[in-house]
Amino acid sequence: MKKFFTILICKFLRFIGGLVGKGSSLPGQVALKMCPDILSRVELPEYIIAVTGSNGKTSTVEMIAHILTENGKTVAWNKEGSNQIEGVTTLVLGNSSLGGKVKKDILLIESDERFAKYTFKYIKPTHYVITNLYRDQLTRNGHPEWVFDALKDSIYPETQLILNADDPLVSLFGEGRDVIWFGADKLSSDTKELDSVYNDGAYCPKCKSPMTYTTHHYNHIGHYECTSCGYKRHDTKYTITSVDLDEGEMVIDGSNKITLALRSLYNIYNILAAYTVASIVGIDGKKIASDMSDYVMKNGRVITFEIGSRQGTMLTSKHENSISYDQSIRLACAEKNGCDVMFIVDAVSRKYFTSDVSWLWDIDFEMLKSENVHEIILSGTYYNDLAVRFEHTDIPEDKIKIIPEIEKACHYLDSDRKEYIYVITCFSDKGKFLALL
Amino acid sequence: MKLLHLYHDIMNLYGDYANIVAMESLLKKSGHDVEVCKRSLGDDVKLSDYDFIYIGSGTERNQKVVLKDIMRFGDDLRKCIDSGKVILMTGNSFEMLGKSVTDSSGKAFEGLGIFTFTAVEQNKTRQTGDAIFTMEGSDKKLVGFINKCSSISGIEAPLFGVEMGLPDNDNVSTEGIRKNNFFGTHLTGPVLMKNPYFLIYMASLIPGADSSRFSADLLPHETAGYEVTLSELTKRIGEKI
Repeated sequence: MKKFFTILICKFLRFIGGLVGKGSSLPGQVALKMCPDILSRVELPEYIIAVTGSNGKTSTVEMIAHILTENGKTVAWNKEGSNQIEGVTTLVLGNSSLGGKVKKDILLIESDERFAKYTFKYIKPTHYVITNLYRDQLTRNGHPEWVFDALKDSIYPETQLILNADDPLVSLFGEGRDVIWFGADKLSSDTKELDSVYNDGAYCPKCKSPMTYTTHHYNHIGHYECTSCGYKRHDTKYTITSVDLDEGEMVIDGSNKITLALRSLYNIYNILAAYTVASIVGIDGKKIASDMSDYVMKNGRVITFEIGSRQGTMLTSKHENSISYDQSIRLACAEKNGCDVMFIVDAVSRKYFTSDVSWLWDIDFEMLKSENVHEIILSGTYYNDLAVRFEHTDIPEDKIKIIPEIEKACHYLDSDRKEYIYVITCFSDKGKFLALL
Repeated sequence: MKLLHLYHDIMNLYGDYANIVAMESLLKKSGHDVEVCKRSLGDDVKLSDYDFIYIGSGTERNQKVVLKDIMRFGDDLRKCIDSGKVILMTGNSFEMLGKSVTDSSGKAFEGLGIFTFTAVEQNKTRQTGDAIFTMEGSDKKLVGFINKCSSISGIEAPLFGVEMGLPDNDNVSTEGIRKNNFFGTHLTGPVLMKNPYFLIYMASLIPGADSSRFSADLLPHETAGYEVTLSELTKRIGEKI
């Protein structure tokens, strides 16, 4: 009876929440109060697929749901991205019958890196994808090894791990286990030497001796080998065999070509992770490739806009995440017809207050020297910190325009310049710009 | 002038390298000749050759690797500190100068023993937070961020008073350590970039530096940024965070 009422109330609150547009964690929170072990009392589907990692969780989960749904599977997943235990509880109970049976073929969970161990105590994933571990929101996450240690406790022996072979720290989860590896062959966009402000692949995560790379995809993601203990990149079962970002194409496993709606390395990894999961569920590679071709994400992280006669794209990057910024900058620098790039740092964090801007020093702004980038506009409360950071690059001073107020910066963009506009900022600040359009 | 960024690749977790960039830039802007040397594990280094030495923060595992390597500098480092060389260590790097660092499993690693304090790590909660610190003899507060998992006990001559943020341990209201011109603090990241007055103060201590040439006017965005951060953080004091 307790189970019945808990599910009923959770469903009711979720329904009300949907009407008033409130978040999805409250119903689960109430359910967990009423019945703390409710998650272990429900009957779960055959596939419980979890996705975690520093970047790309939300996008990867959305892509997996898209492919599976296109192929006739029913999927319960957390669209809203509430990825802590309360949100997952709302998701599970919201999709189950009052008797406590999840009525979908697949339960697909995006899980927060630090809280996965609590969530999975009750719901053990059958398949667990870990995309990457980067310097991400270090003001709360500490550092990648700290997150590694927290995540390690969320991995159970019976779970099939699906890991990014190109990330040396992520690959360490696979030590002594049977793993399904995904990754990229040497790509045309690779560099021989590291092209980044810092190097988190300098030392082996296992024995701390120096590591060497035969190729870098980006940052510490690439083909690595320890000079001492022999720890090295694993061969992959699902593989990006080539990519052409200029043409907007990638090929998986030699023959499955996917045309890209978003031409970033991030995006191709997310697609590969989704491809891997869908293949494991039994969907044909050709079909996945056609489902993913030109797929435009619905999660609002890339938004196109018009300002006067000018066109632009907002690339929502995560503040406090240098690799996310690097990827957005790389995308802007690839704009052959020339572009202006605006950065806004107004509130550092989405959920918490902090004035920490150390992450700005980890971003490779130097790339903006590119002749494709014509003007750079810096705006928001922390514009001084941005200005100091740019002072310590080789970007010519006359290319940089400082306009502290976002509104004025927005007016400034409304000119008869012909350049395409990229606005690079975070979830916490994107609305401040979009509201002015 | 020679600046040393020691363990530049393995102890550079929070944009710490910007501290050496800040010092280099101020010295250059004020007309000094500057050379920056980056050295790391196993490299041949003579500490006495340098006018300013900096080490940044690292992961707990990386700190233990460096701790093994830094043992060879023990005597030299002690002499440098005693003779008044200007040295800055931020984040968990200065923990290595104490008696010991104990990791979360309870294993104690011997430190350099230049100071008598001890550091004890835990792996349950990351201790993080914005900081406003005061420093004796200066009317300029420091702003910054702390990101750590250790508690430090037994510091005899603290560096900062804590107005906001995390002290060395729960029972004190001070942070960091100072001896002569050695400065150790758990502030992470670009401390000197965020605190232009502290940068100028520290640069003025370097023998041979012409301190009359240092002025906040050389650092307009740094000083403006400092004021913004100080005012944003000050607003938070007393508020529930």
